[in-house]
Amino acid sequence: MIQLRRVKKVYPGDPPVLDNISLKVDKGEFIWLTGPSGAGKSTLLRLLFCAEQPTSGQILIGGRNIGKLGQAAIPFLRRNIGIVFQDFKLLENRTVLENVGYALEVLGASDAEIRERARKRLDQVGLAHKCASLPRRLSGGEQQRVAIARALVNEPTILLADEPTGNLDPSLTDSILQLLFDANARGTTVVVATHDRGLLQRWHRRTVGLEHGKLVFDA
Amino acid sequence: MIAHVAWRLSRRAAVNLWRAPLPSLVSVLTIGLALFIGTTFVLGILAARSLLTSWGAQASMTLFLDPAMPDARAQAIAQQLRARGDLDVHYVTPAAALQRLRGDLGELGSALDGLSQNPLPPSLEIRPQKPLPGPTARVLAAEMGEIEGVRDVEFGREWLEKLEALGRGLRVFGAGALLAVIGAALVVVANTIRLAVYARRDEIEIMKLVGATDGYVRAPFLMEGALQGLLGATMAVGAVLGAQRWILPRAAQAFAFAAGVTAPHLLPLHAAALLAGGALVGFFGSWLAVSRFLKA
Repeated sequence: MIQLRRVKKVYPGDPPVLDNISLKVDKGEFIWLTGPSGAGKSTLLRLLFCAEQPTSGQILIGGRNIGKLGQAAIPFLRRNIGIVFQDFKLLENRTVLENVGYALEVLGASDAEIRERARKRLDQVGLAHKCASLPRRLSGGEQQRVAIARALVNEPTILLADEPTGNLDPSLTDSILQLLFDANARGTTVVVATHDRGLLQRWHRRTVGLEHGKLVFDA
Repeated sequence: MIAHVAWRLSRRAAVNLWRAPLPSLVSVLTIGLALFIGTTFVLGILAARSLLTSWGAQASMTLFLDPAMPDARAQAIAQQLRARGDLDVHYVTPAAALQRLRGDLGELGSALDGLSQNPLPPSLEIRPQKPLPGPTARVLAAEMGEIEGVRDVEFGREWLEKLEALGRGLRVFGAGALLAVIGAALVVVANTIRLAVYARRDEIEIMKLVGATDGYVRAPFLMEGALQGLLGATMAVGAVLGAQRWILPRAAQAFAFAAGVTAPHLLPLHAAALLAGGALVGFFGSWLAVSRFLKA
């Protein structure tokens, strides 16, 4: 599903952020991407959803080299990738339902279809009763659940999560991660970046370690 | 699908304007002010040119005749010119001219008593019944000079040339200044819209993350920009019409030298052009501002 071949990312004047990374993630797999701050986890995720281009090497998604995608093709790739951030990235002046429906709007879905699918997804994350609320009225855990619902609403084949529990109270962590495991159980390939070793010990999954931009273990 | 997406984007543009009225209001006011200044500037230049043209057109002409020309011949020429139907002609005999000079000199008029003979020639004073532009006055003067017995034609050539040079200068200055005003207005408007778009950069980022194409991201901003431009232009048209109705008549009274000159008015066609111009300024201002964030 995802394949990195000797990927390197260098910003001028700095040491490589990612150095010669080769990695293969199979369809339906769940992997932890771990390492200390500055190890290159977020950069690797950004390369996967084409927010940046690698300096060298190849990234293949579904067998397609995304480094060769034209600017106009990137939105269509992203429609197949759900993304979850540490800071939720919700629109403050839109309701919960509108935030989740946003990902369907760009696909050209009808209003009725957007409402129905967004409600269904919010129901799955336990927030059907908060459809009309604005994000600022929700707790951090609820906001992250809205962000996950948005990421999953158009049933992407890949879900990328960058420190999804980083801003949350530890008591909420498990419920958020359970949503990601549920998505994975439905067949979505999931890549989660985290520096929290406790998570890796509680939830045993394939773990890829990065340090100073190098892949240091894959177990 | 295209229809409901277009409807959704239009609705979003309207909702965005409603939800964030302050940045929109600043953009509307900026566009309105820029268009108002530009329009009043153009109307001011046109009024100044109209005033100069009217001054030039008021010039009269004097035909100095052969001093030896008999009175009857001079009267015949005057009659012949009156017959054209477009000129008022007044025959001034040498004696009448001397009398007028004596009056003009006042107390110094007695100096003329020592003259052994009247040195002033007979003349015809000609005033066109309709104002003539400079080139036409020149053609008429040349035509008058061809009449037998006419020695010289005086029509304020220097004055006319100065006025024409002033008119040309005003045109060049007006075009240059207008370009500067339009350029400055565009920069200010684009920057104002950019600030409004900057406040919504998160929205753009999220739209792109969920797979919106650049066109889809841009569309509501362009619609908002066009709508803001249209509202700004409506304000500018209202302000210009208001100024024409309430300020211009009082200003015209204050400037007696401009009496009789019709100031250019904003016609419906001009107003329509201004509204379209406002919408375009808003549209392109938004285009520039959003493009910057799409590249980022």
